Amino acid sequence: MKTITKEVLQDAANRLLFTMSDEQYDTLMGEFKILTKQMAIIGEIPDLGNYEPMTFPFDCTTSYLREDVPVAPLTREEALKNAGNKQDGQIKLPKVVG
Amino acid sequence: MNFEAVIGLEIHVQQKTKSKMFSSAPNGFSRDPNTQVAPLDMAFPGTMPVVNKQAVINAIRVANALHMTIDHTLYFDRKNYFYSDLPKGFQITQQARPIGKNGYVYVEVPGGKKRIGIERIHMEEDTCKQEHFMDYTLMDYNRAGVPLCEIVSLPEISNGTEAREYAEAIRNIVVYTGTSDGKMEEGSLRCDTNVSIRPYGQKEFGTKVEIKNINSFKNIELAIDYEIARQSRLLLSGEKVRQETRRWDEGSGKTVLMRVKTDAVDYKYFCEPNIPPIHLSDDFVQNAIDTCPELYDAKKERYLAMGLSRSDAEIILSDPKMAAYFEAGVPFVQNAKDLANYLIVEVNTYLNKEGVAIQDFALSPKTLGEIITGQEKDGLSHKQCVDILNYVLANSVSPKEAKEALHIVAQVSDSNVILKFVTDVLDQNPKSIADYKAGNQRVLGFLVGQVMKASHGKVNPAEVSKTLQEEIKKR
Repeated sequence: MKTITKEVLQDAANRLLFTMSDEQYDTLMGEFKILTKQMAIIGEIPDLGNYEPMTFPFDCTTSYLREDVPVAPLTREEALKNAGNKQDGQIKLPKVVG
Repeated sequence: MNFEAVIGLEIHVQQKTKSKMFSSAPNGFSRDPNTQVAPLDMAFPGTMPVVNKQAVINAIRVANALHMTIDHTLYFDRKNYFYSDLPKGFQITQQARPIGKNGYVYVEVPGGKKRIGIERIHMEEDTCKQEHFMDYTLMDYNRAGVPLCEIVSLPEISNGTEAREYAEAIRNIVVYTGTSDGKMEEGSLRCDTNVSIRPYGQKEFGTKVEIKNINSFKNIELAIDYEIARQSRLLLSGEKVRQETRRWDEGSGKTVLMRVKTDAVDYKYFCEPNIPPIHLSDDFVQNAIDTCPELYDAKKERYLAMGLSRSDAEIILSDPKMAAYFEAGVPFVQNAKDLANYLIVEVNTYLNKEGVAIQDFALSPKTLGEIITGQEKDGLSHKQCVDILNYVLANSVSPKEAKEALHIVAQVSDSNVILKFVTDVLDQNPKSIADYKAGNQRVLGFLVGQVMKASHGKVNPAEVSKTLQEEIKKR
């Protein structure tokens, strides 16, 4: 398993375009320590590789598919209600590509 | 050193369902921004995805047309990435269990056909449309959640022409299964290509370059051939090919660097927990296949059997609406080839001139058939029928009324009548006879014209030409 270090978290934060304080890194490191410990306990169970992934541990298979019938969408006002910055009926964001 | 190219294509096809992949918002093209949006498409909390039945049926039909193994249980995954075109922070896709696997398609190559393997087809949702300006970006979520099929070929394509043929074959399948409009110019079919080259005989693949932003089938061919030449030049001059993403710049006819790939993006795929596994019964899958509209290749074979040339069949089939018109008109003509000729030449010319699509063409297939049978059965010339067609279109009258208004009468093929006109014209033009005998073949055209003039266009010009040549010999 990948070791979670401050450098790994800094790299992730950098890629996600936000900065964190040293205190926040310490909090996150503490949380990852607990998580890593729990994963290690699970990792000690023998023959784990021979089990199917338990993505859906209980059978919840369905055959339901939605009919292709459109319903009235949100009004533009409703759709954009939470947007901080709007222009010409669209959400306006800072440009992040070159 | 000679190189061989190894090319793989990833084609995204926008499905023309009525609603979106996982929400019930309408799937509309070119509407006002942010008016075709359901709460799910904007990732409002508490919303849950529900799979669109028609999108599944379409994917099954395309998978079957591509000879694929169809998975009877649907699983979806989350592809995680942080970007504003996807407000959920992930795209719902089928990473682990695509609906179709291990298919193939045949493409025409010089000297025969080549089988190109297809790794997978999976369903996913489209992202929102972004419009970039100098220092800001505008976001329209109408496209967010539109159903997509992604079709991934094996790296078995060897050059630009094969890649274009492959993409056109996929286009034909998605169009004629009714899955998509398949229009590259409008973005309903998008093609990313991976191109690498290696010395002939080498087993290992070369460094892969991805080309994006290709907006037409012709440009697939041009972009790939340019890229093969560019990579060859680099290797021959001792340089290395970098792993990078490039885009096709149509204006300069070159691929242009977008970004160098430093490491593979890790999308942290995991199973979409909000969509349980969905079992597709054998009956459901079979019914989707059985009710699939007739495919392009089957139609083409049928058109060839009707007597159309390969190129005429391809022109008619290049627009499914034109193909539908053609098929509706076939019962009203004696020879399907005549109808195809009229559609390809006269009707297409009219449509282009007027800026009208075939589905908005004023003439019904039956009326056009009636005009064409004038040539087939009633002894009218091609020109006379075209005159009737143009008159009908210009004046919104019936072919019969147009014929009367234009004083059109059937051509005469009676050899005695023709002989009389020919004899008169030859008697009046002794110099032309001498010229023709001296080797001036063009005089024949003049003489035919004189006969047509004298007869007011009532005689059959082919018969006139034949009779003229026979009569000149006798003089």
